[in-house]
Amino acid sequence: MTEHALNVIAARKTFFPGTADEKIALNDLSLSLAAGDFGIIIGSNGAGKSTMLNAISGALPLDSGQVLINGQDVTRTSVDRRAKHVARVFQDPMKGTAASMTIAENMLLAEMRQSPATLHKGLTKARRDRYRDLLAQLHLGLEDRLETQVSLLSGGQRQSLSLVMAVSGEPDLLLLDEHTAALDPRTAAIVLDATMRAVEALKLTTLMVTHNMQHAIDYGTRIIMLDAGRVKSDISGAAKAKCTVQSLVDQFAHKSDHMLLGA
Amino acid sequence: MDVFNLFLSLVPVTLAQSLILSFVVLAVMIPFRILSFPDLTSEGSYPLGGCVCAVALLAGIPPLLALALAAAAGFLAGVVTAVIHLRFRIHTLLAGILVTTMLYSINLRVMGKANLPIFGEAKIYDFFPFDLGSINYTKIIIAGLFALLVFVMLNLWFRTERGIAMRAVGSNPDMSEAQGISVWKATIGGVGMAGAFAAIGGGLMVQSQGFSDANMGLGILINALAALMIGEALVGKQTITRQLAAPFVGAFAYYQLISLCLAAGLPPSDLKIATGVFVLLMLAGPELRRAKGPRAAQEAFRE
Ligand SMILES: Nc1ncnc2c1ncn2[C@@H]1O[C@H](COP(=O)(O)OP(=O)(O)OP(=O)(O)O)[C@@H](O)[C@H]1O
Ligand SMILES: [Mg+2]
Repeated sequence: MTEHALNVIAARKTFFPGTADEKIALNDLSLSLAAGDFGIIIGSNGAGKSTMLNAISGALPLDSGQVLINGQDVTRTSVDRRAKHVARVFQDPMKGTAASMTIAENMLLAEMRQSPATLHKGLTKARRDRYRDLLAQLHLGLEDRLETQVSLLSGGQRQSLSLVMAVSGEPDLLLLDEHTAALDPRTAAIVLDATMRAVEALKLTTLMVTHNMQHAIDYGTRIIMLDAGRVKSDISGAAKAKCTVQSLVDQFAHKSDHMLLGA
Repeated sequence: MDVFNLFLSLVPVTLAQSLILSFVVLAVMIPFRILSFPDLTSEGSYPLGGCVCAVALLAGIPPLLALALAAAAGFLAGVVTAVIHLRFRIHTLLAGILVTTMLYSINLRVMGKANLPIFGEAKIYDFFPFDLGSINYTKIIIAGLFALLVFVMLNLWFRTERGIAMRAVGSNPDMSEAQGISVWKATIGGVGMAGAFAAIGGGLMVQSQGFSDANMGLGILINALAALMIGEALVGKQTITRQLAAPFVGAFAYYQLISLCLAAGLPPSDLKIATGVFVLLMLAGPELRRAKGPRAAQEAFRE
């Protein structure tokens, strides 16, 4: 097998199996990303996008199937031991940071993904300087507030911090789950812009979930559409360049037709 | 004026007591505030420390080593509570009550009877080479040195990478895990550490009072909680240094308050209800204020 950054092989996840609420969230889903791929994940509510990202990060164990990162089987590896490879930003700004700790301490936590915690002093001068430089790139003034508690930041500032934390240390895999959806349009644009610059500069292999079709068209190297727990279409290259908002929405429509016919 | 003089005369005694209590306050504070793991185990690990220490002294083990054995036993008690919660998803408070209840029997087994005098054995307080006129001053200096050492060490620890990782687990466990931190290790380490401190408190107490008693932990948790509330009200908890200072300041202020009440004529048997009402008021404070103003952010604790 050629070495991929990510392989999801026949992933299957059923919630509440054997009950009336049974829900097949991932239905033998398979997906591969080459190093440097930037996949934009689209699909209607409940298609399984978040579930797939949870399975990749290890937050959710699969019923069956496999997850390989850099060719290495991590299906049974816990979240904390996958963290060396995987960084995430969630939709909810509260989830990605430790609220009662300072900005600098949060930046240090992100650094621990790459190098496990030691008994050395955490916040050295060299680190503070580095964090200041990294945060300055956001132009939000966070670089002057290293000792501020994160709980005092706005949602947009927290999300920007989460992003900087996620891309620091150049993870093998960056997972973004509607990470600008909870922000006002201006802040969302700032965070998205910072995302694109980081992904491009560091050539990060990335999966980004969005409901914004224009973003799917403008950004990324692939558009991966999920439907009912599977990959419904995977568009890249020239085909992706030809996509329009209308053509993507039409694909959603097809699916709804299916549902109508199936009902 | 009588009340005041009586109060003053009690200061040396209460100071020694409060330095010992501050270890138990630490044992309440670390899980509660740093790990968001409200824990009652100290009610059991405090007498456990006392029992282990007394038995060790009677076996001829030197006082410092006896204290270390007590700490190890307390650490183990904390580990059991943490594992019960982590493995079986049992509420942290219930896990602590379970361990405390079981420890009562264990403590009796360790001692072989309910009360063990150690008047004749060498004590940690004998190390002090000078005679200050009163054993109370010696106790203050020895217990104070221990407290100072622990305060400094904890300040250093919670600034190391591992210490910061431990605090992160209390702040946001899911996020910490996503940063490669093991929630299990941090929780077990932190709650174990708290158990060790409670046991050291028990060991210092036993060596101070000259006997160990299976019932010596009764109500210690609420005393410690009251002290923590006072300490946090006095020095705050915005930074880790303040959070770590609160138990020591709180334990001191708490004992002065108690001694003032006693000097003013409050019967000792009413102390528990006074302390309980005080803790209740401190805990209810935010809720009472909220009834008027906008809802304050709820603190999230593990269940
Ligand atoms: N923890 C859970 N427990 C039970 N069911 C779940 C859980 N998480 C997801 N599901 C179900 O699995 C299905 C897929 O959910 P998922 O969150 O992956 O969808 P999504 O594509 O991310 O949707 P959205 O666009 O709304 O975020 C849904 O039907 C959902 O109800
Ligand atoms: Mg989702």
